[in-house]
Amino acid sequence: MLERLELKDLTVRYGRNILLKNLCGSFSRRQINLVVGRAGSGKSTLLRVLAGFHKEYEGSVLADGQVFEPSGNISLAFQNPEALFFNGTVAEEVGYALKMRKMSAREIEPIARQWLQKWGLDPDRCWLNHPLELSGGEKRRLALAACTVFLPPVVLLDEPLAGLDAQGQRDLISLLSGMATDHIVIVVTHEPELLLEQSGSLLYLHADGCKSLKPAEFLRLALADSSFFPLPEWYRYAVRHFAQSSDLPNLRADDVYRFVKTRERMHADQL
Amino acid sequence: MQISYKPGNGLLYSLNPMIKGAIAFSAIVFFSLNTLGLVAMTAITAVMLLVSRLSGVELGDIFMSVRRILLLLAIVGLIQGFGAEGFSLVDACAAMIRILGVFLVAGVYVTVSSQSELTFFWEACFRPLGLIGFPAREFALVMVIAVRFFPVILGEIDRIRMAQVARGAKLDGGGLLASAAALMPLMIPTLTQAIIRAGELAIAMEARGYRVSAQRTRYQRFRFGIVDLFAILIPVMLLAYLLRPFFYTAG
Amino acid sequence: MIVFDQVSFWYKDLTETSFRLKEVSFSLAKGCINGIIGGNGSGKSTVARLMTGLMPVNSGTVTVFGKDPYHQLLHSGFLAGIIFQNPENQIVGATVEEDLAFGLENLGLSHAEMHCRIIETAARFGLGSLLREPVANLSGGQKQLLCIASVMVMEPAWVIFDEPTSHLDPWSRIDFWKIIDEFVHHHDLGVVIVSQLAEDLARYERILGFSSGSLLFQGSREEFKQAGAEIHEHFNYPEEWKYEQLLAAEHA
Ligand SMILES: Nc1ncnc2c1ncn2[C@@H]1O[C@H](COP(=O)(O)OP(=O)(O)OP(=O)(O)O)[C@@H](O)[C@H]1O
Ligand SMILES: Nc1ncnc2c1ncn2[C@@H]1O[C@H](COP(=O)(O)OP(=O)(O)OP(=O)(O)O)[C@@H](O)[C@H]1O
Ligand SMILES: [Mg+2]
Ligand SMILES: [Mg+2]
Repeated sequence: MLERLELKDLTVRYGRNILLKNLCGSFSRRQINLVVGRAGSGKSTLLRVLAGFHKEYEGSVLADGQVFEPSGNISLAFQNPEALFFNGTVAEEVGYALKMRKMSAREIEPIARQWLQKWGLDPDRCWLNHPLELSGGEKRRLALAACTVFLPPVVLLDEPLAGLDAQGQRDLISLLSGMATDHIVIVVTHEPELLLEQSGSLLYLHADGCKSLKPAEFLRLALADSSFFPLPEWYRYAVRHFAQSSDLPNLRADDVYRFVKTRERMHADQL
Repeated sequence: MQISYKPGNGLLYSLNPMIKGAIAFSAIVFFSLNTLGLVAMTAITAVMLLVSRLSGVELGDIFMSVRRILLLLAIVGLIQGFGAEGFSLVDACAAMIRILGVFLVAGVYVTVSSQSELTFFWEACFRPLGLIGFPAREFALVMVIAVRFFPVILGEIDRIRMAQVARGAKLDGGGLLASAAALMPLMIPTLTQAIIRAGELAIAMEARGYRVSAQRTRYQRFRFGIVDLFAILIPVMLLAYLLRPFFYTAG
Repeated sequence: MIVFDQVSFWYKDLTETSFRLKEVSFSLAKGCINGIIGGNGSGKSTVARLMTGLMPVNSGTVTVFGKDPYHQLLHSGFLAGIIFQNPENQIVGATVEEDLAFGLENLGLSHAEMHCRIIETAARFGLGSLLREPVANLSGGQKQLLCIASVMVMEPAWVIFDEPTSHLDPWSRIDFWKIIDEFVHHHDLGVVIVSQLAEDLARYERILGFSSGSLLFQGSREEFKQAGAEIHEHFNYPEEWKYEQLLAAEHA
């Protein structure tokens, strides 16, 4: 079982343009590893490097100290779910990865149905539909199901939250935290606030240098400077007096409320 | 690595789209019909590549996609190579360079021509047909969609390979033939998908006000420069050379 | 005005389990930010496509400015612009500039006018430095911005946005909303915005909430806040409002 993926001085290029320079960082098990950054900062490209699709890079990717061999060990859910589809039905699409692993059709069907269900797609309703004739969010769910059904050691997800409804987001969070115990889960997202609780590390990509941060550090930096990462106004306002604390709450109403109340009580006691 | 338009400012880029199109098509006809012999053909190909390189075309991408037709090249080489006196390497190479030439011309042409230049060229070519009642604009629409999909469909095999690897398939498919065989069952779904996608693109164009019957204006302005005046000699000369047997018989 | 009157719609063949838009009626006016919310597969994109006349309804009527958008689209151009959900399938040009120009060419504008609008719009959406970039090289968020810009550059009277913010980074989302605010309240643009993001929902001024093809809720933002848990549970209720409620409960 893989424990850690490490980036050693990774420099990624497109032709003559350097996109990521001397990137260091690591991704481990038992947590969701987040990657955030502005549009065009190279998040999708980084996932393509890890998946072995983008080869213009120097430096190395190590898996528990050895050079990482992506082929066969990863799944990558592309930012555009449609780019993943090449079968005629939803059933074949989820079943593909299992078929590749030499499972028989009889073994595949129940597992495939179960995974569709897990990702919130009703198998009875869409089993024989064409993947391109699903709604946007249903396509995303199908892509995620197809990429996780075979339980690869490393799971790379590019913007998995885009297009998911509230229930889909909850399913995603619980499924990924479950998978993270045995797999390395790396998630690129523009909504890190939804996954901060489950995440242990966050890689922040930026043209002027990349940072590897703990979720709390990330929140503190974002509060100090909204151009670092714009947190919602209500949150900034709610915790404005405690922006330096080391245990900033996640962006959930009850967490923030409880945090602010305890702090205010502590403050009142001190006076 | 797809062959598709890459913006640039070099010589080939600056040609008028009509001239560009005329050169490309006469060169394709020239390469596919001509039998100048191996040495001359190789020289012409080399000159063409040199001019492209000097115009700032990244030949790397084009060479990379030559891989996709390697199998075809080998088969053609084999078939053409066997003559009355057994296998002739020169004949085989001559046959291969013809196909390679066509492929390279098409590749360079697509790389230096933007979408609107291609549309412009086709619409202009079909316009005379419109006079005799041929649905020229409808045809141009089909061409626009086809051009948009040319790189997509060329890249489709790569995309599917990538989608498979993205779901844990191993990259080493065991050579070209094996991987081609593995893709066979996917032919029909791929075709269906391409049709759905093309339909979606047509809808997207319609949603932005594209109507086949409507009068459009053009954003890019295509000038006819001094270079074009010289460049026009290339298709004229190529065509004259190709049509030379007819002049002889006439004279 | 966009008016739906008893509109029903289904794709191809109707079966027991297949999706059906069930006799939906509502009307949306300019001057405020109209939003559509609902779960995956609830029919939001379907409604958006019907508004722009890309498909005919099976029963009932859709009107935009009193006209049928489906017939209008076939015969004399569109009544409302649309930005589709997936940024990948709607880019027509090979470069950013070409794609921005495509819609303008269809409008039959002069070169000078096109140039002016392209420069202005590209600058507004932060695409100025990417004008000559091939679209295949753009990142997901850049593509989505381009899709938005390519429709906005045509200056339609109504624009339907189908999840316009899903791939934008949080910085661009703020800019997007600034632009929308300005256009709706100062330039007489009619907008309908579909989104899954709770933060977007908090910005809607009028809300349509769908669930499995039925219109479950319609009303103003305040009405939505008051609608009660059995309505809220179908949607992505913003944390911001939950926090407000916690504070309000404390003061009560
Ligand atoms: N082209 C199509 N052919 C057949 N069925 C379709 C087609 N497009 C969508 N559907 C079905 O219609 C239903 C509604 O789809 P729609 O795209 O309107 O949902 P949506 O509310 O936009 O969802 P999402 O939030 O996932 O984008 C879905 O169940 C979907 O499977
Ligand atoms: N094929 C390519 N050739 C050249 N440049 C490219 C290519 N693909 C992407 N780029 C550039 O690399 C940069 C990073 O792209 P990438 O897709 O990794 O961004 P991203 O961080 O995923 O952004 P987003 O959040 O918008 O998806 C972009 O500026 C893009 O223009
Ligand atoms: Mg990306
Ligand atoms: Mg939708």
